[in-house]
Amino acid sequence: MAQMWITMGPQHPMTHGLWTLRVKVDGETVIDTEAELGYIHRGVEKICEARDFTQVTPYCDRLCYVSAMTWANSYIYAAEDLLEADVPERAEYIRLISAELQRLASHLMWLGAFGPDIGNLTLMTWCMRDREMFLDLLQELGGSRMHYNYPRIGGVKRDIPIGFADRMIAKVKLFEKRIEEYEMMLDESTIWLVRLQGVGYCNAEEMVEAGVSGPNVRAAGVNYDVRWAHPYSVYDEVDWEPAVEKPTSVKGADCYDRYRVRIEEMRQSCRMVLDAIEKIPGGKNTNYASGDEMIYTKAPTRAPEGATGFSNYECTRGASQFYIEGGGEGRGKKPYRLSIRSPMFITIPFVAKTMIGYKVADIPAIMGSFDPCIGETDR
Amino acid sequence: MGMKITLEQNAAAVTECADAINDKFSGSGISADIVQHSNAKKYSFVRVVTPPQHWQALAKCMKFDMGVNYCSMITGTHYPEGPDERGWGLAYHLLRQPISNQLPDTSTVYVAEKMLGSQIPVEFEVLIDLPNNDAPSVPTVQHIWVGADWNEKETWDLVGIQFEGHENMFRVLNPLDSPDGFHPLQKQHKIRYHDYNEMYDDAQGFVRKPADEGRVK
Repeated sequence: MAQMWITMGPQHPMTHGLWTLRVKVDGETVIDTEAELGYIHRGVEKICEARDFTQVTPYCDRLCYVSAMTWANSYIYAAEDLLEADVPERAEYIRLISAELQRLASHLMWLGAFGPDIGNLTLMTWCMRDREMFLDLLQELGGSRMHYNYPRIGGVKRDIPIGFADRMIAKVKLFEKRIEEYEMMLDESTIWLVRLQGVGYCNAEEMVEAGVSGPNVRAAGVNYDVRWAHPYSVYDEVDWEPAVEKPTSVKGADCYDRYRVRIEEMRQSCRMVLDAIEKIPGGKNTNYASGDEMIYTKAPTRAPEGATGFSNYECTRGASQFYIEGGGEGRGKKPYRLSIRSPMFITIPFVAKTMIGYKVADIPAIMGSFDPCIGETDR
Repeated sequence: MGMKITLEQNAAAVTECADAINDKFSGSGISADIVQHSNAKKYSFVRVVTPPQHWQALAKCMKFDMGVNYCSMITGTHYPEGPDERGWGLAYHLLRQPISNQLPDTSTVYVAEKMLGSQIPVEFEVLIDLPNNDAPSVPTVQHIWVGADWNEKETWDLVGIQFEGHENMFRVLNPLDSPDGFHPLQKQHKIRYHDYNEMYDDAQGFVRKPADEGRVK
């Protein structure tokens, strides 16, 4: 059979963003692939060298436009390591709640984009409907629908508004029922099962070796999660357990396992925020003023030369990491070097290689099941 | 209820790893220290300082003897003002993760507080200083950790540090037709607007700063 290269992207529904997958095919079978990234490289790391530590947060929001809160939090933990800031416990609870609400919104965005790839358009409308609930809640915190600029070095920008707790509990409880609706629709849909089961196998050791992390690895049967392995925030005080899926083959997890593990993660996030809002120090229906010591501790603004900060954070797509070196311009007011580790930057080249041996029609299912986001990939 | 690795488990694992490295490589210029984070839960990690020529030996020991299976991040830094022995810096962030292949329909569910010995996740930071010259280079670890592959490509692309022996090196974030020797995170390249005041004065970018003249477009 004749072999040829097909270029998928940069504008192709499979890519979920701007990048190119070059596929070498033999008939219908994929025999080689190459990923090309960098279409929306903005040079965030370079820009941040000319911004002081508080000005960096909005850039980190914009790294991933569907998961801004987790990326900003990830940066904030690295900056706190560098600047040796203390955080009040109430602020840690609020960060946990905001990050988990963002995880729900991000997973819904993923499911809503993944459904049409597989041929289920209803799923997109349902997910967009439910995502609105969480965007509204995040808007109450940060004042914006996408880029919140909410966490601060040493706390959070402002406290949860009065009535936020009740609205959140109502929405999350409603959403827990909606998850069951999703499962009823998807787990019994023949198209969904045929296109996802038995496709895109990868086993756990192979993925760890290649640098894949987060839900994609948990789908292969190990409950490793940064939230307990390198703990931050107050995840040890609230009720949850890491989502984990049993792989169906010796070859590891398939696309269906990766879908299941994200559904389970959404359940756990719901469970977490419902518990956290009851346990929050200072009460769920109190609103402290911005800058109050319950939600904010003043942090140093300069870092000396030689100081470093590092954070390892469970983002919605895997472990996001920041590494900052102090001692930049303005006598240490700006970072000398800020380095960002994006989980998808490592995952996309790996996924491209796992497609080898499958059919061309399986590419959207395999790629979509890993939840690519190009904003964070290209930085 | 949620779980976490306790500070005692963390301290035990970190001490064990640091001692193992110090014992094995004593006298070679490699030294491992225990450093405490000052964020979140104040956990400790192992910081290893190594000369570039011993990096591959150290990496093999970490990977095959100590089970460090995850190369998460490589950061290159340019210090043009630095002393002769430190013009470039490399920071590798590595993790030991207790992850293994599973049989069908089984899964490993760890309970953090009950993990022992080599199961406990540990974070490593490996620092390498390179001499202050125009052609910084360091041995590759691409064949040791697959995850180092694209991290090394990115570090070369953005910072310009060569990885000796790295196969199939190409630009991953900059355009493929960028000029040779253009690595934007080197400190001689300035961004056009260095401050927000400049940005408001010259929003359209008509007035170029003198610092931009050496900039490769």
